[in-house]
Amino acid sequence: MRYILEGIIYAIKLLLSFDPEIYEIIGLSMYVSFASTLISSFLGIPLGFLLGLKHFKGRKIFARLLNTAMSLPPVVVGLVVALILSRRGPLGQLQLIFTPAAMIIAQTCLVLPIVMGVIFNSSRDKGTEVEKMCLTLGANKLDTLLVLVKELRANILVAITSGFGRAISEVGAVMIVGGNIKNHTRVMTTFIAMNHSMGNYYISIAMGLVLLGISFIVNAILYGRITGTGD
Amino acid sequence: MEITLKNVKKRYHQKTVLDIPDFHFFPGKIYGIIGPNGAGKSTLLKVIARLEELSEGEIFYQQQPFRKEILKTMTYLTQKPFLFSASVVENISYPLKFRKYKRDEIRFLVEKIISEFGIEHLAHQLATKLSGGEAQRVALARALIFKPQILLLDEPTSNMDPNSIEIIEKIILKYNHKKDKTILFITHNVAQAKRICDEVIYLENGIIVESGKAKDVIASPKSENLRRFLSLEYYVN
Repeated sequence: MRYILEGIIYAIKLLLSFDPEIYEIIGLSMYVSFASTLISSFLGIPLGFLLGLKHFKGRKIFARLLNTAMSLPPVVVGLVVALILSRRGPLGQLQLIFTPAAMIIAQTCLVLPIVMGVIFNSSRDKGTEVEKMCLTLGANKLDTLLVLVKELRANILVAITSGFGRAISEVGAVMIVGGNIKNHTRVMTTFIAMNHSMGNYYISIAMGLVLLGISFIVNAILYGRITGTGD
Repeated sequence: MEITLKNVKKRYHQKTVLDIPDFHFFPGKIYGIIGPNGAGKSTLLKVIARLEELSEGEIFYQQQPFRKEILKTMTYLTQKPFLFSASVVENISYPLKFRKYKRDEIRFLVEKIISEFGIEHLAHQLATKLSGGEAQRVALARALIFKPQILLLDEPTSNMDPNSIEIIEKIILKYNHKKDKTILFITHNVAQAKRICDEVIYLENGIIVESGKAKDVIASPKSENLRRFLSLEYYVN
């Protein structure tokens, strides 16, 4: 119990020490997570709406595959991305392996199905009702889409925050494709895992608390922005 | 606006739920549509509202085949209206926004209809939190604000208290005071049909069994099926 309390005190000291390495790690974590969430949102939200509202053959199978993809094992995704980006892989000449770009790609592979899945399922459930109502009120397709986005804003929020949560807390994939290289690809989660394995519990707890704090702040800001309530 | 049904058929999984060879709905009249559950009443309104595709036949609006612009002149209201997660004012202003009205016009018309409907106290409440009767009044205000030529009402007063029913009925009658709107009104309440409808259509198994002036059809039904339906209805109510 004592070392947990000491860890919390150490966390405060660590943050107040303004150690550039710590802030670099936090900065890179934020950058990689935000970038992958942003890319996933730009792709996943329109695609989710489009597929959720369309009645196409094989929709049920697609829904099942998408739901499965929402819980893809990060290590497997990391491995596949690493194989593709490795020097001997099909995209090896891009020299992206062990770079933040590779980490963004791996995280996007994990976040995109989550964002798309949430939007697909919610627009499938509620979308038809909204579409029909808009039709009876004389809306055109663009009007309907705008109303739908407004109606499903809470679901969009859930999609983005779940995606960001997955990205910022992810360790397996970024470890494989990033390599946890100091001052280059080391992020909060890989830093915690490394220090824990080295027996530096205080530092692990400290960084874990920072990670929790960031997740809380980002969620609070996103929720306030999208719902306009800040509750 | 006149609505003409020509050889209209609607099938679900090979089962015919609507089969109307020829029927006209004329402007200026309120048509009461009665019949047992599964008679095809809602399906009839939905095919007219273009919410359901026809399996066969065609529906003409003012002797013209369907065009997208028709959608701007009609509306369909269900017994459980879907209100958007926004304030009452915002909900009512949606149809005007869809028709690109100016902001000042929207504000004026919304305030006017809110006052006409006596729902000033609900104006800034979240529409999804309203009670059934309040929600129905808001939905009706939203449906009428753009003055649709065709009004399709699917049991708009079911599960309502008598006070709310009276308010809704008065609003509908007032809406048709110029006798230029075509109103189709599904109801399970024969007394209500007699009260507010000019004509009554009795549907059973997707077929119009009987139709005519409301008072005549209800007072002296010709078919055995309608007689049985009316006697059961009187028994229940």
